[in-house]
Amino acid sequence: MSSDFYNTSILPFAGIIIKLCRAYTNSQEDFEDYYQEVCLQIWRSKDNFREESEWSTWVYRISLNVCLTLLKKKKNNVQHFVSDSVTVEETEASYAFSDESLNLLYNAIRKLSEIDRAIIMLYLEEKPYQEIAEIIGTNPNNIGVRVKRIKMKLKKLLDGKIN
Amino acid sequence: MEKSIENIWKEGFIKSDALIAPKINNLYDQKSIHIIDKFKRMFKINLIAIVAFSFVYLVVTFFIGIPIMGTIFFITLTLLVIVNKRLLNGLERINKGANSYQYLKAFNQWINKQIAINKRMSTFLYPIIFMSFVFGFWFKDAEGIPLGERLVNEILVGFPNTYLIYGIPLIGIIIAVLIVSLLAFFGGRIYMWDLNIVYGRVFKKLDELLTDLESLRN
Repeated sequence: MSSDFYNTSILPFAGIIIKLCRAYTNSQEDFEDYYQEVCLQIWRSKDNFREESEWSTWVYRISLNVCLTLLKKKKNNVQHFVSDSVTVEETEASYAFSDESLNLLYNAIRKLSEIDRAIIMLYLEEKPYQEIAEIIGTNPNNIGVRVKRIKMKLKKLLDGKIN
Repeated sequence: MEKSIENIWKEGFIKSDALIAPKINNLYDQKSIHIIDKFKRMFKINLIAIVAFSFVYLVVTFFIGIPIMGTIFFITLTLLVIVNKRLLNGLERINKGANSYQYLKAFNQWINKQIAINKRMSTFLYPIIFMSFVFGFWFKDAEGIPLGERLVNEILVGFPNTYLIYGIPLIGIIIAVLIVSLLAFFGGRIYMWDLNIVYGRVFKKLDELLTDLESLRN
């Protein structure tokens, strides 16, 4: 991959890619694998970008689609999606953020379903419902309803833990 | 007062140094761990292996005097490769930049199509392979006459009342039909069983993701 492409087309969006990848992983090693894979797939798919949407929306789409469907092999040769196995209990201590509240919020997000994780991440990034709906493939009204539900779930999960 | 999740998010990332991108090394040479790329790799390796094996097998069977077996085997596996090469082309067309619903739906449709086609082909594949063995040895030259005819002649010496249909013992036909039926019946099931051991969890998870997305669309 040319470093120009990475610097101009991926790096400006590294923040959301990092945030997304962290929601679907529980170790530094997995996170780095995810980040590399997302960058690789954005680069490989760049010729399919048709300018029907913003480049940023397209980057979010690829990042999310990649995060949802990365495969790992278990010891017994059985394949599984990595995002499926993320449990808060298994999250490495060294993988934590320095901000404790943010850690608690991330741990709560990791307890959500994969799709709910995606929706709340995009919502927290202040993406309008219309754009979230375009990325996920649904309509904005349903996103609004789902965001409310997810926020209630998160509130329950964080109840009393953050002041 | 409790902080809202929006504030935790904003403040957390202002304070935190967590948004430093990891260093990327030799990205282009990295082996992709993405499901579509893994399937592509698996398909390509399998197809190359089948082509190589069937060709070597064809040559060997010519040398050992059972070319019918090698030819049937070669033609059958070549058809299998052609069909799966077309399926592989379908996988190339899945757009990772589509929205999540379209992307997962397209991938799920591809999986279902390839399972349905390969399951159906397995129903025919095992019986054809079995029959290629039967024909191969039946027509193998055994001192001037085909091995099958020689075997029938020997059976007729021991059991002169053996009932023949077009020169083949009825009991032999019944056994062959029984084996072919069993292979046809279990062929598709063996394929599914094998696939589910390795990819069962992935297919289940894909269904769950799609169900969640469909509930979000309704």
